[in-house]
Amino acid sequence: MPLTLKRALRVLLLGAALPLVSTVHAADWPTDTVRLIVPYAPGGTTDVLSRKVADLLQQQIGTVVVENRPGAGSTMATGQLARGGRGSDHTILMASPGHTIGPVLYDNLPYDPVKDFRFIRNVIEIPNVMVVPASSPYDSVQAFVEAAKTKEMTFSSSGVGSSIHMSGELFKTMTGTQMTHVPFRGSGEALPALLSGDVDVSFDNMPAVLSHIKSGKLKALAVTSREPSPYLPGVEPLSKIGADLGLGDFVTTAWFGLIADDSMPEEAVETLQAALDKVMEDQSFKDFIAQIGGEAASQEGDDFRDYVAQDVQRWQHVAGQAELQ
Amino acid sequence: MEGVSEVLNLFLSLDNFMAIGIGVLIGVVVGAIPGLTATMAVALALPFTFSLEPVTAILLLVGIYKGGMYGGSITAILIHTPGSPAAACTLLDGYPLTLQGKAKKALQMALYASCIADVLSNLALILFASYLAKIALNFGPPEFFWLICFSLTIIVSIAGESAIKGLIAASLGVIVASIGMDVVYGSQRLTFDNYNLMDRVSFVPLLIGLFAVPEVIDFYLKKAAPHVRAASSGLGLTLKELRASLKTIVRGSLIGVIIGAIPGTGATAASFISYSEAKRRSPNRQNFGKGELEGVAAAESGNNGVAGATLIPLLSLGIPGDVITAIILGAFMIHGLTPGPVLFQENLTLIYALFCGIMLSSAVLLFVGHGVIRYFSLVADIPKAILLPIVLMFCVYGAFAVNNSVFDIGLMLFFGVVGYLFNRTGFATAPFLLGFILGPMFEDNLRRTLLIGRGDPAIFFRGPITWLFVALTALSLFFAVRRYWQERIAARPDAAPRAHPGTGDSGR
Repeated sequence: MPLTLKRALRVLLLGAALPLVSTVHAADWPTDTVRLIVPYAPGGTTDVLSRKVADLLQQQIGTVVVENRPGAGSTMATGQLARGGRGSDHTILMASPGHTIGPVLYDNLPYDPVKDFRFIRNVIEIPNVMVVPASSPYDSVQAFVEAAKTKEMTFSSSGVGSSIHMSGELFKTMTGTQMTHVPFRGSGEALPALLSGDVDVSFDNMPAVLSHIKSGKLKALAVTSREPSPYLPGVEPLSKIGADLGLGDFVTTAWFGLIADDSMPEEAVETLQAALDKVMEDQSFKDFIAQIGGEAASQEGDDFRDYVAQDVQRWQHVAGQAELQ
Repeated sequence: MEGVSEVLNLFLSLDNFMAIGIGVLIGVVVGAIPGLTATMAVALALPFTFSLEPVTAILLLVGIYKGGMYGGSITAILIHTPGSPAAACTLLDGYPLTLQGKAKKALQMALYASCIADVLSNLALILFASYLAKIALNFGPPEFFWLICFSLTIIVSIAGESAIKGLIAASLGVIVASIGMDVVYGSQRLTFDNYNLMDRVSFVPLLIGLFAVPEVIDFYLKKAAPHVRAASSGLGLTLKELRASLKTIVRGSLIGVIIGAIPGTGATAASFISYSEAKRRSPNRQNFGKGELEGVAAAESGNNGVAGATLIPLLSLGIPGDVITAIILGAFMIHGLTPGPVLFQENLTLIYALFCGIMLSSAVLLFVGHGVIRYFSLVADIPKAILLPIVLMFCVYGAFAVNNSVFDIGLMLFFGVVGYLFNRTGFATAPFLLGFILGPMFEDNLRRTLLIGRGDPAIFFRGPITWLFVALTALSLFFAVRRYWQERIAARPDAAPRAHPGTGDSGR
């Protein structure tokens, strides 16, 4: 008898507690430690940025723990996030182009990159730079494209499906040139081949090549953002100088923004957005963005969602042209 | 003169000394625990460095890195579990020494070899950074390809009792490594639509499973095996023994320096190359793999020789050679510094202050290592019935912790069974591991070379570095084959009394 009584009591207690838990969450967020998932290995731009953001968020919303969950070009961690479950209302993820390129590369992803998430805020954007080795005979985009029509060029990237690779593929399709993709594992491995002239060109992320451009080891032909970057004065956007080469719409930037599972309550998203607004105002964060050659991004909520949806479409188009997958 | 005082001003602060001390200590302890790697420790320490002075911050991370490089050898020697990937080679001779009751000797040899290699590696960084950085830049895919070919030839020397079995094990390693995404086309290979395999088989679970778990299985299958009282009481290393291995240590350090200066090869390959070189040259060749102190010295000097040298491409070119240096690069950037040629022009005092700290870290490693060995060697005294369950617990945690993935625990247990079957059937696990590490590098660089050369094979012989490595590969193969035949011929007349059951592959 006492056994069944105990059990009945337990069930009753549990039943009473359940609605309590959910109301607590909605009323006052966060009620628990917030986890910021980095879908890449420690050390990359995403990781360093996430740790900086976590450090500043912490001053406003309490403990934020950064967790690295690398695997399958960020889709592993994103898949886990989309699965929801316990703690998913306190979990955010630093998404980047891997989020929009992943669905192009892997055809059996268990989630939809747009529909299954809440889009909190885009934090920064980093342009890519079209760079050639210092020893390269090409000093302008025009000269390069002209040469590429007669000679097969090679372009390096940090890996198949990276934004660097996809930018190269986009360049190929828009200019109608033939270039061979030479993939490396990470920017660190890719750089020596570019510096020594083993490959002809790369569309590398700004932070990786900025110091080499400044020291004269690489020549920057163009930036891939819509506007010139303040860090590379005198280097024009590809969409401007390449307009008559068919590159008028060429804009690719690496973006980094926070997303969450769609089960996250609206209040939580608002709290996070308010906290992030303050992070963006922080002087040390502004200095940090400048240091990595990035620019503050502003899209929040639905704007951010649309931005991501556009990105997905663009890469799908490029991958179709390049016959990837 | 003014410059010197500026450097000293920057370097001589209590914070810097504490950063180095704490860093090395954290590194050694974390490195020693299987599954907790120096990489993780460096990543976790990164946010704490935000508020520190730049020099202090970097020295803390470098301290962890160096401590971790050495720390991995402790558990490799004591419980057959490499605390870090690079220590997998140390265990080949370190663990047999523990079984012979010479754990203390092995641990001290590992420490001295690590420290000496560390100092030499630092000197290379300080004196030859710009020169070695040039070599690194001339190392394109074709040069890499031949370096990997050369490294693959050493499989024969770590193959254990049978060269053929060694090659089979290595091939299996290559096959396992080819699981995941194709590097050029992005297509899936051997993943069987399993989401967890899409990237590649994770390294740390494989490593832990392969080496640590078979020991556990073995123990429970034959419980009656007597506990070997090893160790803390065992004799320490004599000066004579250290002197006998000194040449090997210096050679191992140089190998480490060269491998370290080239981004993307890594400490594990360096330790195996150093080990195989030492074995090839040693008069005690037969004893390698059965508890040879020189083997421990070779492996540890090889992997610690890498530690200072990986900072060469980082500082002089801004190119990180591995994950840890990538995190250190991140730390530089957070403090508003960009490694590379510009840093040498604009912040020379800071660089020299860093160099002072890095040199000091080697001395601190010696000091900390001594203290740590004293306590860790007590592990060898713990009865196995108590120790092994704890080891298994750490294995499970370690496999999980790398990617926070439950799948990886299953992977670890799977490779544990594979490792056990290998041991039972006389296959060596080291070639399997080497195949797993080098296989993808071989494939990547082969394909990259062909892509860069637009399919023209002439690019494989494009310059002096490729010629050098072609020659080294050919020589290494020649010596290996010659030795194989010599040993077979030598074994023939008195085959019956000497041979192990598995020697001579004639019947297989």
